[in-house]
Amino acid sequence: MNERVKDMHLPFTARLIERHELTEDTSLFRIAPEGAALSQLSRFVPGQFVQISVPGAGEVPISPADLPGEDGTLELCVRRVGHVTELLHQQLPAAPLGIRGPFGNGFPLEEMTGHPVLLLAGGLGIAPLRSLLMHLLRHRERFGEITLMYGARQPKLMLFREEMAALAARGEMRLYLTVDFAPETNGIQSCAVGLLPDLLKGFRFDAPATYAAVCGPPPLYRCLIADLEQAGVAPGRIMLSLERRMRCGVGRCCHCAIGQKLCCVDGPVFRAGELKDIPEAL
Amino acid sequence: MEKSFLEATQLSSFLEKLRLFGELHGPTVTDAGVATFAPIAAPSQLRINYRRTQIPPKKYLLPFREQLLSYRDGRYAEPAETQPPIVLFALHPCDLAGIAYLDLVFLGDNTDPGYAARRARLTLVGISCEPDDFCFCSAPDSAANCDAFLTAVKSGYLFSAVTARGEAIAAAAADLFSTTEVPQPVAAQHPGTGVAPQGPELRFSDNPLWQKFADTCVSCGACSVCCPTCYCFDVREYPALDGGGVRIREWDNCFFATHGEVAGANFRPTRLDRLRYRFLHKYCGFTPLQGITSCVGCGRCKAVCPVGIDLRELFSAARGEMSP
Repeated sequence: MNERVKDMHLPFTARLIERHELTEDTSLFRIAPEGAALSQLSRFVPGQFVQISVPGAGEVPISPADLPGEDGTLELCVRRVGHVTELLHQQLPAAPLGIRGPFGNGFPLEEMTGHPVLLLAGGLGIAPLRSLLMHLLRHRERFGEITLMYGARQPKLMLFREEMAALAARGEMRLYLTVDFAPETNGIQSCAVGLLPDLLKGFRFDAPATYAAVCGPPPLYRCLIADLEQAGVAPGRIMLSLERRMRCGVGRCCHCAIGQKLCCVDGPVFRAGELKDIPEAL
Repeated sequence: MEKSFLEATQLSSFLEKLRLFGELHGPTVTDAGVATFAPIAAPSQLRINYRRTQIPPKKYLLPFREQLLSYRDGRYAEPAETQPPIVLFALHPCDLAGIAYLDLVFLGDNTDPGYAARRARLTLVGISCEPDDFCFCSAPDSAANCDAFLTAVKSGYLFSAVTARGEAIAAAAADLFSTTEVPQPVAAQHPGTGVAPQGPELRFSDNPLWQKFADTCVSCGACSVCCPTCYCFDVREYPALDGGGVRIREWDNCFFATHGEVAGANFRPTRLDRLRYRFLHKYCGFTPLQGITSCVGCGRCKAVCPVGIDLRELFSAARGEMSP
């Protein structure tokens, strides 16, 4: 007598293929999901997240850094900040991991079609936005002007820098980089020193038609939303990818509540307009 | 709904009939004097005139700690469900309403397998109650959200079957019921009015009660532990030395400082934030249960709060503010 239904707690197996170190504490992982996870992940929309299990450590929500490849492999950009991510960094190729998802809403790609898109990433916030950027570039003709503004603490902490520079060099998007501070001996010319809002101030763009996608640490949202609205971007077109500690992914554990919404099912991508009356959202 | 009269003297025999449907659990008192739902081995253990147990019946559906998964060689597997069928006897309507709310949360989309399995094995027999000063439910004699219900009357109970399983209980216990005379139910002396869904905007009102509560709250979380509809949980993983391990789920508490943590930040760092969060969840609801108040008026939170916080003060103050 077994009344158990299909268990949404049960992760599918995913093998670690390789780990590419991006900075001291951040790596790009390529994993190969197996079995039914492949078909589930084929529905992945940029901005959604997956729950990655490291056996013995636990589970963490991660927003993939790209759409699944043709072979079904998935790229995850992960910083070593806690128990699970620390153990993930210690895993060797072929190690079995677990994967559930994708969960959440993702970016409204159809609605954004035909519009210019401005991506604003702070620090590790580049990871979820990279999957959106890759989608936009793969369907370049469907979208208007694509601009990426990316800020990091210092030049050596800038993720995907060569890759982004190469994409910009192909003329498919505009790229603006900035760092909070650069060592004086570094001599880097291509990188502005200052915060993202400083970059935005001197930027001329078709604001009323633009969709903005923002991801970064909480203080970033607070100043960027005001600046974007002032520039003329509609609050309904300012898309914010938020971080919370989702445990279950299906709206039950209540760790990711944002006002009366749950980040795991109503988000993690929210419109600035939706969050106006929720003081603790950002 | 057909009702039948069960004389109080027949109660012990009735309990024996209930055992046909599973292990019998009901209200009793521990050696330490705490009211609790526990196995009833002998009728003398039953405290049918109890007011409220300290821990609500949610423990039968959401154990304090439960194994979600086990893993070995990197592969995760579901545990086998082992809970036997249980008959939970003498639940008050507030606790039945609490279970009905948990059903909404755990049996909707993406049905929770552990909850569903335990729920399917649970037979619920309700009983009308006599509210005390802590109670504020709206219907202490409501025969809803259960399989069968007993309404207390003079010298006995009126039995009503609600579900097919309730009908089966009625059939099994048919020779215990007398149908010749139907006494009138004892009218419940009820002080409360129930709690209507509150406006979410009340959460950030500058009502001084918020700060007053925040100043006295000690973040002990007793209100959440004892709440029949508080269900939020944490998930943890424990490796074993033999290379295997388990993933468990356990009750979490929104009054604990870590509840709103993310890497490098905390979205609810103060007690005021956490009080407002609890208010929002309990009286306004989260997606997709927005607008449904999950407070069932059992009075446990007020009864256990060591500093006597009663959110109803806020509601009545807010009503006063709104109607000049």
